[in-house]
Amino acid sequence: MRTQNLVAALCALSLSACKQPTTTDQNQWPALIGTAMAAAPSGTEVLIGATLPLTGAESRIGGFFKEGYELAFEEANKNGGISVGGKKMQVRLTLLDDTSSQATAASLADRLINSDKVQFMLGTYATNLIEAQSVVAEQNAIPYVNGGGAATAIYKRGYKWVFGLLAPVELLAESIMKWVDAEQQAGKLPKPATIALLWENTSHGKDFRKGVSDFATKTKNYKVVMDESFELNGKDFSALLGQVKAAKADLFLADAHLPDYITMQRQFVTAGLCNKVQSYGARGSEKQAAEALGKKNVEYVISAVWWSPLLADKNPEAKKFLDLFKAKYAGKVPEWYQALAFETVRALFTAIEQAGSTDRKAVREKLAALKMPSLLPGGEVTFPAEHGQQTHAPFVVQQNLPDGSAPIIAPPDSATAKGIAPNPGCAK
Amino acid sequence: MERFAELLIAAVLLAGLYATMAYGLGLIYGVLRIVNLNHGGMIMAGAYAGWYLHAALGLDPYLSLVLVAGAAYLVGIATYRVLVRRLPRGPAGGVQSLLLLFGVWLILRNAAYLLFTGNDQTLRTSYSTLAVGIGSALVSVNRIAVFGVAIVILIVLHLLLTRTYVGKAIRAVAQNPDSCTLVGIPVERIYALTFGLGTALAAAAGLLGSTLFPFNPGFGAAELLKSFVVVVLGGLGSVAGTAIAALILAVVEVFAILVIPAYLTAAVGFVLLVLVLVFRPGGLFGQRVLG
Repeated sequence: MRTQNLVAALCALSLSACKQPTTTDQNQWPALIGTAMAAAPSGTEVLIGATLPLTGAESRIGGFFKEGYELAFEEANKNGGISVGGKKMQVRLTLLDDTSSQATAASLADRLINSDKVQFMLGTYATNLIEAQSVVAEQNAIPYVNGGGAATAIYKRGYKWVFGLLAPVELLAESIMKWVDAEQQAGKLPKPATIALLWENTSHGKDFRKGVSDFATKTKNYKVVMDESFELNGKDFSALLGQVKAAKADLFLADAHLPDYITMQRQFVTAGLCNKVQSYGARGSEKQAAEALGKKNVEYVISAVWWSPLLADKNPEAKKFLDLFKAKYAGKVPEWYQALAFETVRALFTAIEQAGSTDRKAVREKLAALKMPSLLPGGEVTFPAEHGQQTHAPFVVQQNLPDGSAPIIAPPDSATAKGIAPNPGCAK
Repeated sequence: MERFAELLIAAVLLAGLYATMAYGLGLIYGVLRIVNLNHGGMIMAGAYAGWYLHAALGLDPYLSLVLVAGAAYLVGIATYRVLVRRLPRGPAGGVQSLLLLFGVWLILRNAAYLLFTGNDQTLRTSYSTLAVGIGSALVSVNRIAVFGVAIVILIVLHLLLTRTYVGKAIRAVAQNPDSCTLVGIPVERIYALTFGLGTALAAAAGLLGSTLFPFNPGFGAAELLKSFVVVVLGGLGSVAGTAIAALILAVVEVFAILVIPAYLTAAVGFVLLVLVLVFRPGGLFGQRVLG
């Protein structure tokens, strides 16, 4: 009987381990996506390795990144490959599923570099996974370009081989504050304005807090009257929102992941709260949130993101990407995830072409000195050494309008509409 | 004073949610002496069932509560008959039951990943953001409804265990299964029924949770931990103790925000758990045998 029970338990565990996102056992059976088992580079092709969270908690965004990566590889190979030292070379991607697990992301990177002998690495998505995986790239001295990690903690470690296309969250907060400041200068918001600042207790949230606090200190036109952090995946924010109510702040600035944004905003609306300006950092303009909360309940929320399809009107690279993406994916409109993934691959390819060889050191040097016309706001990608090789492209600030649209309201050179402040909903 | 009243209302409503999450775990442990790790899996399954019935058939989550709980009851009976029944009784089966039910949870979770992907889902109804005024505070209708369901479950469970033959049999089996066999109580059937009931309560808690916040296949893990805290605080096997412990935990967590940073309030419950285990290992209300 005991043996039978044990066998049953082990069967249950092993069956489920096939998709379990947190086990490291998966290293034994990594998913090879869209490619045959990797072989050593042949000399006629460039072999690039990557992992993405295709299952597990981050699988939705992992899927978006996969779309961007595949489009970029397809485009490069369609034209005979990339030009390396006057010779056209095909590019091949070995993509594995890291199951949203830090341990798996790190061990698969090790496998890609030392067993599959990939020549370069593209990053996975999510700060925590990149923090773990980039260590392996640095140890093996292999160029590692990612578009999925924004936390400055990744780039403050003095790493030489890690490059990031996501601008820091501090800058995200600053972008929102710059728009707020312009509205304040125009007399639409009180001076000084009070801020209720809420941030998730992660490196992402800490960067957001720093961005807002630094701006407030620098300009002296703002006073942070509430400064609180909260745990991820909270179930009840009523006590915290009670403090927001008591603070009577002009601006409600929070940094939250999508589930917390939905839970918090639902309770915010239910409690009858309203602030002159309301933002959840990078969250707010998602279709999913509007569906979950109702269009009316996300009106006038401000968000700042790394890219928007609306940039296609003013940026030729963005338009080119948008057209390619729509053509490949049956008219689907990409979000910033796909755009960043596409641009990450393009940055690596450009550096390889500029180096004229697949020598890792030469490519690293070209990445460090890269100046590439880009689909990102600002129109250029660089990896400044003073910021730990993390790009500092500006953000686009968007605002949800009652008609369901979310136009770009800042920076002025990318804006497609004028922002509205204070929130007209508060007057009702 | 106004702030105090608002926090108190928030705490009472949160207690309702905690209590619904913990009833099933406490019931199964009280009778079968098994820590049902699949409790988290059934909470997640209940959330998806409610969401699916609402998305596909437009069924209101509170109407589908009985349907989901009924289906989960059958799943619980089947789980007991096919798997749990084969475990040795008593301490010998402890580790095996943990492994087995953890395995079942992993299978459920990964089945959900396959069926629904890892995307967060939200159950939105016409009254999702509806509120009513209680004093100076606006309170979510949904949270009041969850609290109401928690009270109803408490009363029904209490009546079931104290006023019905089945309930008395459950309590008798919890006290001494061997003697029950001698007097003709079908112990195996009572075990199956209890496991089914506990599983149904877990699924109901998941469905109620899905009306309040987004969920994904990982949903249930944090809820399981919280349920442990509530059940241990209340004294394993005590239904009323579970409800009171849920209230104590919620009050401590909510009011903690006045003295510690908000991100630490979730840890307060675990500190409380350690203190109770050290100073009152039988729980705040002592070990009971259901009732």
